[in-house]
Amino acid sequence: MVPFYYKVAVLNMDADQKFGPIRKGLLEFLVLRIVSGTTVYVADILRRLADTEFATQEGTLYPLLSKLRREGLVDYEWQESESGPPRKYYRLTSAGRTQLADLDDYWSRINKTIAGLGS
Amino acid sequence: MQKVITVSLNGNAYQLDEAAYAQLAAYLTEAARALAGNPDSAEIIADLEQAIAEKCARYLSAHKNVVSGAELEQVIAQMGPVDDTQAAGAAGAAASAKPESAPGAASTHAGESSGAAPRRLYQISEGALVSGVCNGLAAYFNVDVTLVRVIFVVLIIVTGGLGLLAYLALMILIPYASTSEEHAAARGLPFNARALVERAKAKYAEFARNAERHIAGAPWRREWRRVRAEWRVERRRMREDWRAYRRSGYRRPLSPTPSPAADPAPIHYAAHLVTGAILAAIGLLLTLLTVAWVLALISLFRSGTVLGYALPHDMPFWVALIILIGLYQCVAWPIHHVRRALYASGGSYYGPWAAAWNGIIALAVVVVLLWYAAHHQAEVRGLFEQLMRWWQDIIAHHPTQDT
Repeated sequence: MVPFYYKVAVLNMDADQKFGPIRKGLLEFLVLRIVSGTTVYVADILRRLADTEFATQEGTLYPLLSKLRREGLVDYEWQESESGPPRKYYRLTSAGRTQLADLDDYWSRINKTIAGLGS
Repeated sequence: MQKVITVSLNGNAYQLDEAAYAQLAAYLTEAARALAGNPDSAEIIADLEQAIAEKCARYLSAHKNVVSGAELEQVIAQMGPVDDTQAAGAAGAAASAKPESAPGAASTHAGESSGAAPRRLYQISEGALVSGVCNGLAAYFNVDVTLVRVIFVVLIIVTGGLGLLAYLALMILIPYASTSEEHAAARGLPFNARALVERAKAKYAEFARNAERHIAGAPWRREWRRVRAEWRVERRRMREDWRAYRRSGYRRPLSPTPSPAADPAPIHYAAHLVTGAILAAIGLLLTLLTVAWVLALISLFRSGTVLGYALPHDMPFWVALIILIGLYQCVAWPIHHVRRALYASGGSYYGPWAAAWNGIIALAVVVVLLWYAAHHQAEVRGLFEQLMRWWQDIIAHHPTQDT
């Protein structure tokens, strides 16, 4: 007989796979949210995401941030660091703030829809 | 003994052994390949090099200044593959309002440029009042055509007719949008076959819905049932929303109202209330405006003044009349259009409902004003008494049939 926790693990893996594209698409939203708090350094963003389902690596994050900057949603400034060369600190622009509000809105609608279906 | 290769990572020297160097070179080559076509590829690669350098620094100390192959393998595992499809895919999602431009393996740059199709100025004769210049301008600037027309009229008045010449010049110079491709370009929509089919399908669905409701002779009873069903659904939704709001201790915000453009059918109740309030206000405003205008006309006809203000000496009566009519049209026209837009935003069944309300409001305002006038203005009271006498005469001379 298959132990219960094994089933759970399998189910989790399954869900992990099924929601793969969704997680990928949501990453931009999450990054905007993280950046909206305070100005952050890339390592901060990675740390915030590390223990979640959205764990991300530099290889994905840098192109994404560059795209967000190109779209005018985030901006960065160089700041000196105690150790090593200056770092890019990212913050949300006003356009980014508007976009984030829209995404927040949309996300809460999706949540409501999901909660409203079934049960 | 091992050979050591010194590399520069974003301007800082690091020493790697041969195995590490091979891996790093492979990783950066792969990164450059993945970012080919990205306008910011140089900056991203500099960022990646910087991140690699920082990770390598963790493996180095005063007594160890060479990064080994195994260490660099870990660094690269932490970095993860350079994935530009995230950026490209997200770009497609962000521009989802526009028809999707196939991202695929194409660079983000190409994806973006195809999303924003070039926009050209055309005259659009569909729904045009004169020639379609304003229509085309409105499409070009993506604003309401009424706004463009009002601006044009104001310009013509302010410039003393020069604006009219400008209109004529534009009418002759700007080409008409005749093909679908030109129509798309006039509105700045990307023209491709798929988008066209999508738009056509949306149009057809809308048309079919309207036809079902209005043209195909759908009996009013069925229509009324459908409307009631819609209301029931809305009431239920509102009740549930309100309950959730109460459960949350009045902290959870009520659900946002869906934008009317997205889907005309499910309109949130709150949106109805707001629309209703605005419609009522507009109805009141229009009625008052019309009453004031009618009074001004009456006073112009009777005493040659406009609500007590004498006309300038050199102004003939007919000029004052035209100005008065034109002024009323200028003010009332945009308000009428706003009202019509609100009818549409309120869903299909909202129009007649709101129109009935407007009638009631107008009637109420007129009755209140008449009542006030009858009680406070001797002249009007005289008129009323005169009317009453006529009425009595009519009744006295033509007895009704059922008596």
